[in-house]
Amino acid sequence: MATDTRVILICSGKGGVGKTTLTANLGISLARQGLTTAVLDADFGLRNLDLLLGLENRIVYTAQEVLEEECRLDQALVKHKQESNLSLLPAGNPRMLDWLKPDDMKRIVEMLKEQFNYVLIDCPAGVEDGFKNAMAASQEAIVVTNPEVSAVRDADRVIGLLNTNSIKPVQLVLNRVRPKMMANQEMLSIDDVTDILALPLLGLVLEDEQVIVSTNRGEPLTLNSLNSPAAKCYLNIAKRLQGEDIPLIDPAEESSGLGAKFRRLMQTKIF
Amino acid sequence: MNLNNQKIIINIEDSEYLNWKIYLKSKFKMLNSCNIEIDSKNLKLSCTDISEIIEIANQYNCKIIGFSSTSEKTIVSIHSLGYKSHFSIESSSKNTSQIDDNNQIFSKTNFHQGTVRSGEYLDSPGDLLILGDVNPGAKVSAEGNIMIWGRLLGIAHAGSKGNYQATISALQLRPVQLRIAKKVARGPEEKPQLGMAEQARIDSEEIVISPLETTYFEKSN
Ligand SMILES: Nc1ncnc2c1ncn2[C@@H]1O[C@H](COP(=O)(O)OP(=O)(O)OP(=O)(O)O)[C@@H](O)[C@H]1O
Ligand SMILES: [Mg+2]
Repeated sequence: MATDTRVILICSGKGGVGKTTLTANLGISLARQGLTTAVLDADFGLRNLDLLLGLENRIVYTAQEVLEEECRLDQALVKHKQESNLSLLPAGNPRMLDWLKPDDMKRIVEMLKEQFNYVLIDCPAGVEDGFKNAMAASQEAIVVTNPEVSAVRDADRVIGLLNTNSIKPVQLVLNRVRPKMMANQEMLSIDDVTDILALPLLGLVLEDEQVIVSTNRGEPLTLNSLNSPAAKCYLNIAKRLQGEDIPLIDPAEESSGLGAKFRRLMQTKIF
Repeated sequence: MNLNNQKIIINIEDSEYLNWKIYLKSKFKMLNSCNIEIDSKNLKLSCTDISEIIEIANQYNCKIIGFSSTSEKTIVSIHSLGYKSHFSIESSSKNTSQIDDNNQIFSKTNFHQGTVRSGEYLDSPGDLLILGDVNPGAKVSAEGNIMIWGRLLGIAHAGSKGNYQATISALQLRPVQLRIAKKVARGPEEKPQLGMAEQARIDSEEIVISPLETTYFEKSN
């Protein structure tokens, strides 16, 4: 039985910023570090964590049957093929949204806490019931955002709600960073984002085409494509979450010459 | 230092107002080596006053772990000294009624501590004092003045019931939109100079922004 389980909500406010991708990759990375990890799909409306992890065809029971006591928790948990430390608790059908209460989420998470070092909750977009239920069961949170004004605005809204619900700590992941655009000031800078959100930055994730390829294959990048730019970012985030001190530096401080700059960015450990 | 775990709350009573320093000294002496919470009621304390209190406390091995006040000046003083992280600060009552000496108008001051984030909305039936930033997407409004000990990046509406004398001040004024009474203005395009507090007020039918007079927070003395 695991003690001191960390229950982390992965949320964003705005949809499509990369919550599910982060949850899947973080799950794999933590599992690889030897930590037993459960990923819980709390996006009952538009579930897709199972797809990203390539586990769709192995689902027999879901969180719904567990709550209705039609099956045991370990029957519903789907163990990952390659990383046996990682398990998925699939979302039930969308109609669960009609009756699911914060206490139901708490019950599920309490059960998961008995077996795992980490419980990662993939939160639905928005700030409505789906988000509130997931928040009720969480201790800490990672807010995912993109360097875009609207995503930052929504993240700010979510952070306000997390604060009033005493979720601590709340950390930030800035996803889909394009160093070239940032250098040309065509995109919000890291400072612009952290200045408004005033949260500790857990990490940046580079824009990377391979993310899309991996999504379609149902193999998170951190599983088999460890050398891709985004995979390194996800691995670093997992290490920082474990308390490893991997420094963040500011891409804007890198000197001129875009090609060289980009290469250097890739070599440093910022992402 | 051998601090007792027990905490003691000192109220600075009305009768002691004039001699509050002597009063505190005698209390600290008596309480030697205690954790202390002070409620200074609506006493207006300057930065020097607060530093002095802390010094006196140190002399008697007392540690101040909390400070309550209904005076905006006192709260601002504590914050500007950077003690926010050292002890908890509380406005002893959220809605404090007081007589505004200058205008003889009955007004209430509301305090808000912390960042006002996107989607959040604050409203005050009197003045509004915010210790923190007002982020884009947030809105703050007050029937009286709005004072922001931080950056204004969202929307602020002072004099919301029609008071044209109302002002909006902030350490950094970069709002999306400003309103005073029924006047509406878009925020300035250029970034303001750092380190210069600014104030918006109505001057001949227009909302104008000018550097904040340094006497502003002293006004109530
Ligand atoms: N770093 C990245 N580089 C390139 N594409 C990315 C990156 N991160 C995410 N994407 C793409 O963005 C899309 C949305 O990602 P994802 O499903 O993880 O977002 P989400 O926040 O979970 O969305 P929803 O709110 O709908 O649940 C996906 O197509 C994904 O492949
Ligand atoms: Mg998702």
